Amino acid sequence: MKKKTISKILSVVLAMSMVVPMAACGTKTGDAPANNTSSEKVAEGTEAPAESTATPTSITLWTYPIGSWGDSATVDGLIASFNEVHPEITVTVEYLDYTNGDDQINTAIEGGEAPDMVMEGPERLVANWGAKGLMVDLSDLWTAEAKSDIYESVEAACKGADGVYYEYPLCMTAHTMAVNRDLFEAADALQYLDEETHTWTTENFVKACEALVAYGQKNAGAVFCAGQGGDQGTRALVNNLYGGTFTNAEHTEYTVNSQENIKALELLASTPGINFDSSIVGGDEITLFCNETLGMAFCWNVAQERTHKITTPDTNFEILPMAFPSDDGEAELCGGIWGFGIFDNGDEAKIAASKTFIDFICNDANQVEDSVKASTYWSVRKSLADMYADDELMSKYSVFVPMMGDYYQVVGGWAEARTAWWNMLQQIGSGTDVTTAVETFSETANAAAAAAQ
Amino acid sequence: MSNKKNTVSMSRALVRRETISGYLFLLPSLLFFVGFVIIPMILCIYTGFFDSTMGKDKQDVFIGLSNYAEMFRDPVFRRALLNTFIIVIVSVPTVCAFSLWVASAIYKMKSPALSFFRCVFYLPVVTGSVAVTVVWKWMYNNYYGVFNYIGTKTGILENNINWLGDQRFALWCIILILFTTSVGQPIVLYVSALGNVDPSLVEAAEVDGGTHLQVFWKIKWPQIMPTTLYILVITTINSFQCFALIQLLTSGGPNHSTDTVMYYIYYMAFKLYRYGYANAMGVVLAIFIAVLSALQFKVMKSND
Repeated sequence: MKKKTISKILSVVLAMSMVVPMAACGTKTGDAPANNTSSEKVAEGTEAPAESTATPTSITLWTYPIGSWGDSATVDGLIASFNEVHPEITVTVEYLDYTNGDDQINTAIEGGEAPDMVMEGPERLVANWGAKGLMVDLSDLWTAEAKSDIYESVEAACKGADGVYYEYPLCMTAHTMAVNRDLFEAADALQYLDEETHTWTTENFVKACEALVAYGQKNAGAVFCAGQGGDQGTRALVNNLYGGTFTNAEHTEYTVNSQENIKALELLASTPGINFDSSIVGGDEITLFCNETLGMAFCWNVAQERTHKITTPDTNFEILPMAFPSDDGEAELCGGIWGFGIFDNGDEAKIAASKTFIDFICNDANQVEDSVKASTYWSVRKSLADMYADDELMSKYSVFVPMMGDYYQVVGGWAEARTAWWNMLQQIGSGTDVTTAVETFSETANAAAAAAQ
Repeated sequence: MSNKKNTVSMSRALVRRETISGYLFLLPSLLFFVGFVIIPMILCIYTGFFDSTMGKDKQDVFIGLSNYAEMFRDPVFRRALLNTFIIVIVSVPTVCAFSLWVASAIYKMKSPALSFFRCVFYLPVVTGSVAVTVVWKWMYNNYYGVFNYIGTKTGILENNINWLGDQRFALWCIILILFTTSVGQPIVLYVSALGNVDPSLVEAAEVDGGTHLQVFWKIKWPQIMPTTLYILVITTINSFQCFALIQLLTSGGPNHSTDTVMYYIYYMAFKLYRYGYANAMGVVLAIFIAVLSALQFKVMKSND
């Protein structure tokens, strides 16, 4: 009998020992479900001074890897500067990547644990979460001074279709392409591009491809289309060749089925050395360009060259950044804009603290240059246009900034249109008639745009 | 009489105590099972009847069976379903047959050799999906992959093949990777099952003049049937749920040639936020898996 009692007690103890840790884990998860990861870095503010009357507030920032904004040491430094001025606000940072970042944020939103702030571009902050009513109106940050100093195209991109500002921008860049200068020189193809202005015409682009193939470079370039990674490069390439556009000026409709775009896609499909490759994305294309498998890269910007120089210092060819070829030699580049948005989590104190943080990082005269430099891109403010005057690499790429075209990535149904874009390129690559593939894209993308309105 | 009564009541008390102990031991797993399987399952079926999406002021709208009707009009879903069935139909028999063949060849080996082969075949199972796909991606590379290198150097291939970028080959490349990552566990199970076959029965059959084939089919095969059934069901479920390889290697392309139902569910739910539609697809996938598993049980039981 006694033996049975002991056995029963033991079973209860064992069961409890298994349940209690679970319950403990559950409690912990419930306390900080979204932020409780090993990758998070907490930048503790200095102790609030005794005389401070402000209420201590903790806020969370989730950031995509925008230059060194994906590097904890850099971001900790920026937050330390912020805490010198605002010790009452503690900022916890979580670092996202472009592969899983969206899923992490979406899961957090659905779980009611969205971060207070997120750092990304208008295609997510404005066209996605903003349009879904999840973001805070940042109009009060957009003062008259800010509006006069920030580029108009950037301001337009930060505003939703409802006229509300869902993003406050910090930095921007122009996405370019790049060529292997040594290879072009060896293939006698340098004559087809203007090294001074970094521009070339569509006709000369085709001649250059022919020259590379004749020289023995079978893979001049790849229209990568395995996924959406780096797809701004293929969009800019197609749109520029004959002056087509991706959307209308009002950003309400996709216009890829224009004659200009169809002609451009037909040209690419028939150009020697240009291969529609359904097995690589932008990142793979960059690797293939850097290891000299490809003669040119369509997914490029200053950050790629900076990274490449750091990771592969003994590269034995010269990288020549170029604008995308166009029929008149005047390219319109796809831009990248990055800044901050605030999720409406219903806590006014956290919203106010988040705005304080954004205001400091983006507007404080002593801070903003460091914040921008951390991104490795350019400021969205005209007054800081020459902040890289002493930086040779940035000066080389600054020629592309004025070439930035319309920021159209805020059209409704963007996620579906992006997928439809690389699906369309895959179809063309596998032999589908260009017009048919383009019409399929237009039907899918415009249906998504209409549904989003 | 009184003694008998006492014995009955004692045994009842004993049964009750043991039952309670049993349930207490089950409790932690049960909590997980209910929390992570039963409740999500109910929610999945429920949400499948709604037009459910992300948005602060968005209310889920009851649309009955519309998601199910849309599904069978959706050409991408139909393609994904076809691809999934191809994967299952090709993968399940080949994995089972290959595992049985390898296990038959190695189960009588001495311990070091047996362990070596078990390690070789089990290694892809314990290696992370990402690491496995990175290596395969490199081997399939269009420009400098090892398959193209060997193929062109030996004259088998005239030009490089874009293995993952050509819709004629992409799905088969996925099936090959799935095969290598799926055979490890069945081999280990078959080695164990074959080792447990009663040797006296095998010897008796051999003494009676049975050929190797006869001994296998008449003696060993019936005894390893429960293992075979388990392997069939598990491999079927794993093949139906093929997702990581697709996401990491092809994103369903080229031209939807590697889309699977699992990947399409992920795309609908996490890229387009169509939770209702994605849940409805999940229900249909679960029904297919359940029906096929039940069929396997029935067929194998009738052969038993």
